[in-house]
Amino acid sequence: MMESAIQLQDFYFAYKKSDIVLHDININVRKGSFTVLAGPSGAGKTTLCKAMTGIVPYYMGGRYSGDVKVLGESTRGRRVSDIAMRVGFIMEDYESQLVSLTAGEEIAFSLLNHGFSAKEVAERTRKALEDVGLPGRESYQLDELSGGQRQRLLLAATLAVHPEIIVLDEPVSAMDPDGAISLYKLVYDIHKAYGTTIVAVEHRTDYLLPYVTDLIALKEGRVIASDSFEAAAPKMYADPELRCLLPSLWQVKLGLEERFGVDLGDWRSEQDALADLKTYKFERRAD
Amino acid sequence: MDEKKKDLPQLIEIEPLQDGYRWVAITAMLLAIGIILHTVSPNVGGVTPNWTIAMYSIVINLTNPKLSQALGIGFIAGLTLVPSSKSAFPLGNLASEIAGATVCCIMVKAMLAAGFGSWRLRPFITGFVATMVSGGLFTFILKIVLGLPLTVWVYAMLPVVAVVGVLNALITFLLYAPVRKLFFVQEDER
Repeated sequence: MMESAIQLQDFYFAYKKSDIVLHDININVRKGSFTVLAGPSGAGKTTLCKAMTGIVPYYMGGRYSGDVKVLGESTRGRRVSDIAMRVGFIMEDYESQLVSLTAGEEIAFSLLNHGFSAKEVAERTRKALEDVGLPGRESYQLDELSGGQRQRLLLAATLAVHPEIIVLDEPVSAMDPDGAISLYKLVYDIHKAYGTTIVAVEHRTDYLLPYVTDLIALKEGRVIASDSFEAAAPKMYADPELRCLLPSLWQVKLGLEERFGVDLGDWRSEQDALADLKTYKFERRAD
Repeated sequence: MDEKKKDLPQLIEIEPLQDGYRWVAITAMLLAIGIILHTVSPNVGGVTPNWTIAMYSIVINLTNPKLSQALGIGFIAGLTLVPSSKSAFPLGNLASEIAGATVCCIMVKAMLAAGFGSWRLRPFITGFVATMVSGGLFTFILKIVLGLPLTVWVYAMLPVVAVVGVLNALITFLLYAPVRKLFFVQEDER
């Protein structure tokens, strides 16, 4: 069994004045995985992300039971800023995470707060900007960067602390399809290059189909499926409310399997699907 | 997914850690706004609202700090007023703001204990009393420093303090709700 990056055991959580938001969560995010967290609005995805980063319950307060372990260590009693050195978190409202005037200062902010030397900060800043395709932009004012570039900058600021895990909460919700594909390609490149564990909350899972290894499906604060993508997708498909959250290709694949009793392959692209369908004599009709 | 419904375990209640620092950030921000408004506010008929007192009254109403924290808020508020003060004894601001913030804090605690926590006029009353205590003490110090007769303090100075008190009470009352909304809307309250 692969080592665990994040583990939630019998975890329940309610905000101070709310009903229970997360019910009996038992999940294991495997180290080195590219995990997608999917579910309808209000399923508790953002709260689960916050639980993975210690923000819930220790920073925001509330009522909880159970335990969250990050890289084998319980988050109980640990400062959010310490957890942040191992788990980077990019929130849906990413603009609220930008606090500095220039790109260089933005990346340096958390490093300086953790006592890194000026030389180390400069080197990490340079490398992080290079990794996200913004080389030499240290002195750029934030308003000189486009929305997509600011998001890349935030990714750079997260990367600069060398986290072993990055949690992204709907990072492309305000982006056009090209921007979204480009950002996820970048996240995947980072995942491959550094072995970083990725947890991404995403409604439009089509973007992530080429990369996803594991899938967690949430509904009304409960885990419906948590497994490898191939094993969890049929469980999501079985729930009519969650079915539409699967990548379109997989909705087709699982639909065909159900309808014709065939066993199709692991489709990650349209080419995979076409090749597979040809072997089963599903041909494109000329009309 | 097969799911055996478990009994709900006993949940542990935990206070938000963010509140440990939030009062510092809010105090700093509102006092800074208070200094700016204090500098630019026009003087109408010898009366101008004391924005600094109104701002720390809002902070104290919002964050219900410990008495020692309120002393600190008063001390910092007094310090910010000393450089720009045109009075005969600028250091009097230190004593008067410490007294104002402390009394405001005691009143807030008393009102919360008496079940007046959600009373809409709480900021109005505490803002008024804080200004009366602060302004009363400040003018009394002036009376002593300048050797003025008691009647001047009672009939000339205190009425002006009372007018400023009403202005401050209104400011505290009107700004309390928007500031609270800005800083204290929690995810579970949306």
